[in-house]
Amino acid sequence: MIERIRHLGRLGCEVLEGLGRAAIFLGLSVAGLPSAEGIRLWLRQMHFVGVMSLAIILVSGLFIGMVLALQGYTILVDFGAEDALGQMVALSLLRELAPVVAALLFAGRAGSALTAEIGLMKATEQLTSMEMIGVDPLRRVVAPRLWAGFVALPLLTIGFSVIGIWGGQLVGVQWLGVFEGSYWGNMQASVDFLDDVANGLIKSLVFALVVTWIAVYQGYALIPTSEGISRATTRTVVYASLAVLGLDFVLTALMFGELS
Amino acid sequence: MTDSPLVEVEGLRFSRGETEIFRGIDMAVPRGKITAIMGPSGTGKTTLLKLIGGQLTPDAGRVRIDGQEVHALSRKALFGLRRRMGMLFQSGALFSDLDVFENVAFPLRVHTDLPETMIRDLVLMKLQAVGLRGARELMPSELSGGMARRVALARAIALDPELILYDEPFVGQDPISMGVLVQLIRRLNDALGLTAVVVSHDIKETLSIADYVYVISDGEVMAHGTPQSLDVDRDPRVSQFIHGEPDGPVPFHYPAMDFHADLLGTGGPR
Amino acid sequence: MKRSKTMELGVGLFMLAGILGLIFLGLRVSGLSLEAPGDSFRLEASFANVGGLKPRARVTMAGVTVGRVETIELDTEWYDARVVMELDAELEGALPEDSTAAILTSGLLGEQYVGLSVGGAPETLDDGDRIRDTQSALVLEELIQQFVSNMVKE
Repeated sequence: MIERIRHLGRLGCEVLEGLGRAAIFLGLSVAGLPSAEGIRLWLRQMHFVGVMSLAIILVSGLFIGMVLALQGYTILVDFGAEDALGQMVALSLLRELAPVVAALLFAGRAGSALTAEIGLMKATEQLTSMEMIGVDPLRRVVAPRLWAGFVALPLLTIGFSVIGIWGGQLVGVQWLGVFEGSYWGNMQASVDFLDDVANGLIKSLVFALVVTWIAVYQGYALIPTSEGISRATTRTVVYASLAVLGLDFVLTALMFGELS
Repeated sequence: MTDSPLVEVEGLRFSRGETEIFRGIDMAVPRGKITAIMGPSGTGKTTLLKLIGGQLTPDAGRVRIDGQEVHALSRKALFGLRRRMGMLFQSGALFSDLDVFENVAFPLRVHTDLPETMIRDLVLMKLQAVGLRGARELMPSELSGGMARRVALARAIALDPELILYDEPFVGQDPISMGVLVQLIRRLNDALGLTAVVVSHDIKETLSIADYVYVISDGEVMAHGTPQSLDVDRDPRVSQFIHGEPDGPVPFHYPAMDFHADLLGTGGPR
Repeated sequence: MKRSKTMELGVGLFMLAGILGLIFLGLRVSGLSLEAPGDSFRLEASFANVGGLKPRARVTMAGVTVGRVETIELDTEWYDARVVMELDAELEGALPEDSTAAILTSGLLGEQYVGLSVGGAPETLDDGDRIRDTQSALVLEELIQQFVSNMVKE
């Protein structure tokens, strides 16, 4: 019995220790003023995590918007409320689907790649040799990736929402015959910029920080073997997805929970 | 002051988990000489280099470089000290996203504000020294192992360091590139007056260039001296290592129970 | 060098697309207008019951949206609901004093909004004035209750 409790205690200590290390890691990485060189490195990473993820995000957004319109229409038409289709599509995308799905896709597409890349740099001693040259790899390797992820994911989320709403319009208005004026009109009447658009963006900023943080930390802290890299990549996707979904609940409760 | 050793290691202890890797190491690396650290694989030679470079912190003991105690320095001062050190890694550790030229230019760009033409001249000089001036536009993935190590050497000497640490420079090299590397290390030392620490278990090559040798085994300094004195050392452990005899005080077999009893299955569960 | 130029262009376009997307979300989806917020004035109205009216609900006149509900709060003096509305500035000084405000429902299940009807008095309403003649929201349960009690009486 005492052994069990001791085991639990050790587990707790390890978890706290890991979180502490990850927090120190984050602090050391983002501290310091950006230099011209840093901006160049950041641009490069923006290209890698942002531009390269654009295609998958936009295609997914389009399909999700179209499916939402199709599903929503069959339900709303029973109540004679198909005019509210635009409102339904826009609110579901802005508040929930765009931030969450974009973050999950981002974790799979960019997060795992970040982990593998940093892990490989560690395995081939590139990080160590950088340290020996007198350059802090946290600043040089980790910081640009963190900042790029932090900026790229909200932008991708915006793209996801826009193309999803457009996709919903495509199905709802062009195909199912909802009146175009009421699609946009109802949307505009019910979507509030601060409550819906801005809150969705805040969510996606939080997700961006968490996903990129997990990805680069897993890469930085992994055991530098081929097995270690594959495990860390898997962990990135699993931890990041769980963190996104869990945080989504917390954020939703905070933002929309007590709307009277 | 200039006669004092550049690197001093005193009573260094280090353990990883439960295993004790070093149980009190003392050594001194004289200025302008090549000092070799040798020992059977698995004795933590690379770990010793990392301790000297300040990447690991010892449990006890001190490492002093030019009078500064490495592990008492702030992060900033440590990075400053490392500018005066170069390190050649076993794998080369070239930055895979930069080409050969940019790899060698990297330390210059980071630590100096030299104009572009000056950086170009310096990089070409260093590449010329390792014979790879023509390969400046290649990416690290296009280089052979020996070439990668030579580029890494050019990068390590880009800032004209006082101390250069070589981690297993001869491992996995064909005889030609091995010969090239041996010659390069010796020549750099003679021409630039560098202090060098070579960690290796390639006895012949190492003994041919080293001025002084430390042999490490079981976490302690087993023997030290000039290559000539070690060659005639009568300690059986030293002579086994230096002359590469398969069995001796360092056993060929991993510790195990009696072979006969093991075969008959009388000694234990499996 | 050429590669990094195209890369910069790609990142630039990416960020531009994001910003344009945000503008689209602001203007087209949430219906923000670029007009300065000063182009409006406030009117108050007290209702005995606001039903399901919410802040930011529409305020219409003859079916045309002319403003939005800004706040709804309980008036502790009379224990009724005080609704503050923000209306287009062009209506300032144009609405007669005896205009009425009613809480209406769009469709059977739709959201509730405030409908204004014009009166005939010569005096007009200005910023901060109060509409006296109001009609509360229809609460379905009360309607049914009335209907049932009427049936019982007969």
